[in-house]
Amino acid sequence: MNSSYHKNLRSVTFVCNATEAQSVSLVGDFNQWNAAAHPMKQMPDRSWLLGVELKHGHHRYAFLVDGGLTLDPRAQGITRNDKGERVSLVPVS
Amino acid sequence: MRKAAADIHRTRPEAVPREASSTSTERGIVHPVVIYPFKQPDDYSDLESLYQLVARLDADRTRYARPITVLDRKTHYAMAQDKLFLAFRGDVVAKHSDILEAWCVDTCQMWCSGLGMAFEQGGPRDVYWLIPGDFNYGTRVGREVLGRLHDLPEIVLELEQDICIGEIATDHNNSKQLIDTYGTFALLYNWFPAEAQEIRRFTERPRSEFFAVRHDFLREILTQRWYPYEQTVVMLLHAVFARKRITRFFVGNISDLPDGRESFASAMQQVERIERVLKSFWRERSLAKPGWVQEYHVLEARSEQIRRTGLTILENLSGEQA
Repeated sequence: MNSSYHKNLRSVTFVCNATEAQSVSLVGDFNQWNAAAHPMKQMPDRSWLLGVELKHGHHRYAFLVDGGLTLDPRAQGITRNDKGERVSLVPVS
Repeated sequence: MRKAAADIHRTRPEAVPREASSTSTERGIVHPVVIYPFKQPDDYSDLESLYQLVARLDADRTRYARPITVLDRKTHYAMAQDKLFLAFRGDVVAKHSDILEAWCVDTCQMWCSGLGMAFEQGGPRDVYWLIPGDFNYGTRVGREVLGRLHDLPEIVLELEQDICIGEIATDHNNSKQLIDTYGTFALLYNWFPAEAQEIRRFTERPRSEFFAVRHDFLREILTQRWYPYEQTVVMLLHAVFARKRITRFFVGNISDLPDGRESFASAMQQVERIERVLKSFWRERSLAKPGWVQEYHVLEARSEQIRRTGLTILENLSGEQA
């Protein structure tokens, strides 16, 4: 990967409609599936929102809803992470 | 016939096995394989849109191998006197791709010929990308699909997947979706219940013609029996059996379009084909098991009930009189 690859960041907005959840965070390859890295913010309609900058390419991710790994029903793809869990896929171009 | 043989063999001597020259840091390239429509459409606008994409791929040799277009010899003979076809073939198709002509019993044999030829030119890190030619690429949905298709091989490369299935989202009443619901999955649950559940965790369209596949997995599939139809279902079953890495990616959405109707005769043919393939594949995998004949008869009896029920539902929904 060259330096231009790293500079090629795009803002991506994630929305999770877990309206009854106490906490939701975004986990994925881009934060090493770290639950503390990207906590999502609850909106007035009780959905959860977060914008993150991601590199060009395809990223595996999921929502951690009250500690439980949850697929994004709006995701463009579905795959498995390195642990074999089903996760969502987002393209960034 | 001589010409067909020449066309097929012409590229083989030029094929340089890349395995010997590969290094551990080398990134694989993508081999696009276009399946030319069996029946040449009167309007070339869809194919023109498709070959604009193929031209872009052909121009990017750092990421893509020279595209291959598979053309059935029956199509060639049907169009041999058609000047428009000959001009399009010469000026567009041959300009941006190597044409592989082959006699094929059905579309999946065209896949086998094209993917097989690409495989022989490829290396261990490469990815093979199947692009069906008979899609409305000139329409709004078609352009959307064309704009996303490149994601399939990129996902296989970037995320080290074995196969990536492209899925077109449809509503539940779309005829292809109905065939998959009451035909494909119903029959899959009979013959391969555990594997069917795993496949459905990824996709609702296990017969998709849009996919990309990794070199090693393609090698495994090519060296096993290849079916003349419903090969995507067979590949997905192989993938589940061998615990391959599967990804599904949406390439378009046609849920809001009024098309998607197929005749009951077409639905019947598709469901019967699926059943034939699943029966054959089950026997192939079960011959070594003691008592397989008895188990086969039980499954076959259930399969017939499922097929009949599925076809009754499809007939009712089609509104056609049998």
